Amino acid sequence: MKLVSIPHDQFARYRVDAIFDCYKWDPQFLDDGTLAQHVLVITEEEYEELVRLTEALDFETREAEMFLNHHLDLAKVLALPKKISHELKKMSNYDPNRHVRLMRYDFHPTIEGKWAVSEVNSDVPGGFAEASLLPKLAIQYLAPNQYVSIDFGERLSGAIAKKIKPHGTIMFVHCTSYSDDRQVMQYIGDKMESLGFKSLYGAVDHLKFENKEAISVLDGYEGKIDCIFRFTPLEWLKDIKPKTWGGYFNTITPSCNHPIAIFAQTKRFPLIWENLEKNGIKLDAWKRLLPDTIEVKKAKNKEDYIYKPACGRVGEKIAIKEACSNDEYKEILKDVKKHPNNYLAQKKFISRPLKGINNEEFHVCLGSYTVDGKHAGFYARISEKNRIDSDAKDIPVVIERSKKND
Amino acid sequence: MTNKEVYKIWAPSDCDWVDWVRPVPFIDINNHLIYHEAIDYTIPKINYIKEKMNDTALIIDIQGVNSVKEGIALAKLGYRPIPIFNGTNPPINTKSTTNNSIIQLLLVWGALELKNIKIENDASPVFLLDSNRLNRYKSSRGIFDNSWDIYPQDIPSKEYLVKKGIKKIIIRGEKLNSDLSKVLYKYQKDIKILFTDGFDDPKEIKIPKLKETN
Repeated sequence: MKLVSIPHDQFARYRVDAIFDCYKWDPQFLDDGTLAQHVLVITEEEYEELVRLTEALDFETREAEMFLNHHLDLAKVLALPKKISHELKKMSNYDPNRHVRLMRYDFHPTIEGKWAVSEVNSDVPGGFAEASLLPKLAIQYLAPNQYVSIDFGERLSGAIAKKIKPHGTIMFVHCTSYSDDRQVMQYIGDKMESLGFKSLYGAVDHLKFENKEAISVLDGYEGKIDCIFRFTPLEWLKDIKPKTWGGYFNTITPSCNHPIAIFAQTKRFPLIWENLEKNGIKLDAWKRLLPDTIEVKKAKNKEDYIYKPACGRVGEKIAIKEACSNDEYKEILKDVKKHPNNYLAQKKFISRPLKGINNEEFHVCLGSYTVDGKHAGFYARISEKNRIDSDAKDIPVVIERSKKND
Repeated sequence: MTNKEVYKIWAPSDCDWVDWVRPVPFIDINNHLIYHEAIDYTIPKINYIKEKMNDTALIIDIQGVNSVKEGIALAKLGYRPIPIFNGTNPPINTKSTTNNSIIQLLLVWGALELKNIKIENDASPVFLLDSNRLNRYKSSRGIFDNSWDIYPQDIPSKEYLVKKGIKKIIIRGEKLNSDLSKVLYKYQKDIKILFTDGFDDPKEIKIPKLKETN
C-alpha cells in the first residue's frame, strides 16, 4: 500500500474534473480542500486479502442482525434510542432477499503490519462517487495502464436493479437541504436512470405507507414506488415528523438500507458479541480485526483505551487525546462521564502512516463496501491526524496491476 | 458556455479565496437554462463603499439575483466575488420552498461580465449569499424543502482571514440572518463586524450569542 501523487501542475484541473465529472460538490471544508493530492495504491494481494476479510465480516454481521431481529431481548445492551427500540418489533417480517444490504467496513493499517477494523458503517454509508468515478479520473492523471479500479456504483446499481421491477421508481430519501447528501443521491440516482429506472429525490416525510407499501407524496410524483434508497440516518429519522416514519421498519417495498441496519450501526454492537456467540453466532473475523471494545465503566484507569460515541458519524466526538484539542478532549470526557451508555471504550490501535511525496505522514482509513454479502469497492480518506474525521481528505483507491498479469 | 467554463471564470486558479466558490449551482448550468425569467441585469451602484479596502471582506446577504449583481458591481471596485450558494434544485415539476435555479442564469451572466473585469489575484473577497435560502414555508407535505443554511465550514476561518490581513467584515443585508450570526459570532473577537442595509454607511455591530439548534 502506498501513496502516489497527482502531478502538482495538474491538480487544479483534477479538482475541477472531480467537481463536474465525479459529483464532488463539496471540494472545500473550512480552510482546506477535501480532495487529497494523492492516490492510494494497493497491491493485488492486498486487494484480495481485503475482499476476503470484508466478506467474512459481512457474513458475520448479517448473521448477527438476523439473529438479533428475532431475539430483541438480547439487543437491550445496545442501548438504542427508545423511539427506535419501540419500532424494532415491527421488523419481524424482514426478508433479506427482498432488500439490498449495503455496508462499509473501515480498515486501518497498523504498525504490526496487520489490519484493524474500527467500525462498520451499517446504516447509511456514503462516498459513492468517490468510490466509483474518482479512481477512474485519478488513473487518467497517473499511468493508465498500470492501475485498475473497482466501480462501486456499477455493483450497487446492479444489485438494486435485481431486486425491483424493470423501469421501476426509486425514491432517494435524504436531507434535501444538504447539498452534500444530494451529491451522493444524485450520483446513484443518475446511475439508476441510465439503467432505465425512474429516480425521485425526496425527504423522509415524502413517503407514506399503505399496506406496508411505500407511497410517494412528493409534489407531482404521487403514487406507489418500487424501492426506497435511504440516506437519512435512522437516528435522525426518528426526530422527523410526521410520525408515520415507523412504516420504514416493516415495509415490504425493497429498501436500501432497511432499518435492520441499526443493530450493527451502533458502535456498541461488540458489547453483545459474547451473548451472540453463546447462541452459536460466529464472530471470529470481527474478533480478530476489531480492537477490544468494552463498556465505559470497565475502561476506568485504562490509559490505552479511547472513547467513541455509540451513534457517532464521520469520526466526530471520538476521544483520542493526541488527535483532539485540549478543550475538545475535555468536553468529550465530560459527556462520557455524564452519559456512559451513549459511548463505549475501545483499545487504541497504532495506525501505520503512509509517506507522501515530501515525506509527510498520512493516516489512512480504507472503507471496504459490501452489497448483499459481496465485496463492492473502496472509499478511503487520509489525514495527518490519527483520527479520521471531517478534516480528512477523500483519496481515490486504485489497484496496481502485478507484472505477472502483463 | 459549459458549466465548467462558467465555474472557472468565477474561480480562476491561482487566485486567493476562489477555493470557497461553491460548485452546487454551477453543476446543473447545462441542463437547467431552459427557464427564461424576466431579470433586470442592470449593475447596481454601490453607495456603502467608495473604494476597495484591502483589510475588508464583504458578505452580501440579499436575494440571490441581486446578490450576484452586487457582486459584479463590487468586482468593478476591485473585490473578488465568491458565490457560496449551496441550494439544490427540486425534481422537475415539483414545487419547492426556494428558487435556487434562478441564480444559475445570473452566474452565467456574471461570468460574461467578469471576463471583462480585471481583478487582482490577491483582491479581498466578497462572499455572495442568497437570503431566500431561509424560505422554509411548506404549504403541503409534498413540497420539496431545498432551503439551506450557511455553516462555519462554508467560509474561511477567522484565523485564515486574520492571516490574510482582514480586519473588518461588512455584512450587506436586509437583516442579520440567524445562520450567519452563528457563523460569525466567534469572528468578532478578532475581526470588526459591520452591517449595512445598502443605503447607510456600514456600522459596527455586536453579534449576540445564539442558542445552537441541531
